[in-house]
Amino acid sequence: MTGRVLDLAVHLLDRQVVDPDGGLVCNVDDVDLLFPDDGSPPYITALLTGPAALGPRLGGLLGRWWVSAYQLLGQRHDREPDRIPYELVTDIGSAVKVSRTRAEMGIHPGEDRAREYLVDRLPGAGHESS
Amino acid sequence: MKKILQVTLGILTAIGGFVDIGDLVANALVGARFGMSLAWVVIVGVVGICLYAEMSGRVAAVTGRAVFDLVRERMGARTALLNLVASNLVNLLTLAAEVAGVALALQLASSVSYLLFVPLVAFLVWFVIWRMPFEQMERMFGLAGLALLVFAVALWQLGPDWGSLAHQAVHPSVTSGEGHPTYWYYAIALFGAAMTPYEVFFFSSGAVEEKWSKADLNLERANVYVGFPLGGLLSLAIAATTAVVFLPRGISVDHLSQVALPTVMALGKVGLAFLIVGFVAATFGAALETTLSSGYAVSQYLGWQWGKLVRPRDAARFHAVVLVSLILGVMLILTTLDPIKVTEYSLVFSAVALPLTYFPILVVANDPGYMGDKTNSGFSNVLASGYLILITVVAVAAIPLMIATKAGQ
Repeated sequence: MTGRVLDLAVHLLDRQVVDPDGGLVCNVDDVDLLFPDDGSPPYITALLTGPAALGPRLGGLLGRWWVSAYQLLGQRHDREPDRIPYELVTDIGSAVKVSRTRAEMGIHPGEDRAREYLVDRLPGAGHESS
Repeated sequence: MKKILQVTLGILTAIGGFVDIGDLVANALVGARFGMSLAWVVIVGVVGICLYAEMSGRVAAVTGRAVFDLVRERMGARTALLNLVASNLVNLLTLAAEVAGVALALQLASSVSYLLFVPLVAFLVWFVIWRMPFEQMERMFGLAGLALLVFAVALWQLGPDWGSLAHQAVHPSVTSGEGHPTYWYYAIALFGAAMTPYEVFFFSSGAVEEKWSKADLNLERANVYVGFPLGGLLSLAIAATTAVVFLPRGISVDHLSQVALPTVMALGKVGLAFLIVGFVAATFGAALETTLSSGYAVSQYLGWQWGKLVRPRDAARFHAVVLVSLILGVMLILTTLDPIKVTEYSLVFSAVALPLTYFPILVVANDPGYMGDKTNSGFSNVLASGYLILITVVAVAAIPLMIATKAGQ
């Protein structure tokens, strides 16, 4: 996935990230750009996701509130977004495909908490519904 | 038979949109006050929702992306958040009203206060979402909702003057004693009911839940072109029954029992039995549709795993949103707020959220990067652009008209 010309805002930002099993991982909330010292064009090093990435994009008071609310809910103290290294991206289409599964990348503190504190406590949470 | 079962997603979506509790009463009310002179709005609405539901279903089948994915991608994180908040507020109000609607239908059958049924109904809604496979759910409530076709039978039995009904529909005029603003207020309410955003959230997400692909586009179209016109037909039949019975007598409608009255006059107890089955199925279906739509929209905006395809524990945040929405809805209804008023307001608010939902669908359905050779035809683009203008006009006019007419009084 090197050398392709992409319009960042149109092709990458806000797209759904999908893992090899078809699982929905997250949205691309922001990207990490590296500006080389020699003045050559910047390139993407990672996709950023999570409230710490989305909050600043919402901007203003709402954005700060967004980040803080999630820190409370997720009991996280850092303000670092979750990162997906750009090497893992295998395709950019109507979704952004990555080569690792959700579990392998471990970027789901919120999902884990909802599972642990709510869903797993209800009978039948592990039952196939269809 | 198998063919009929395959269009139940379209039928359930349309029943939830056209004949949920608010629309049951709104259609009957409109028939009693304006006769068939607003029938044209229903037809305009059916064409509009067919157009946009078809696009949203096609995008979902070709790319696997449901409507709120598109909203966020094309409108950006901020504007999409505004849409999410507005749509989910509408969703929540509607969901609360539908739960109460099921309870009101049970009250009609049992004379036990609907408030006692509300927690039970909400539990059942949650249970169906938690455990019942999507396809089974859509078949059960879509098909049972067809019991509402009893309105059409009742209309025929009432032996109306068809010529006069047709004349009211073809030469719309404001009934004497009603003002023009009120007429247009109800026009917007009916149009909003036909095009409520949760219909496309549900339909497109349902297409993903059903694993439709490019090969299923004919099936997708069959769902749209059977389901939504059927919903429109039901709402016209309801208006016609009350136009025949109540309009000449100058009686206004504001209770579910009055909606049932013309059918009971025509068909007696058997008619009532069909009606109650239909009321329960349609409102329960609408409750499922709105509850799931809340979960779909929030999850798609934030990129979470959603849907009934995976085990609940693999879509934990989606199920958490579903559960919280239901609890909030129940709390709202247990304040003894009038559930029918709640939906009437929510219809008008939903008109305001319409452009933010439909614009991104139109844009993506034309993007060859997504759709390959399955982009819109020129004809549907012309029509869809016309509707986008109409939707925007409606969105701007909705709230001023609501204030000017004191919500249609």
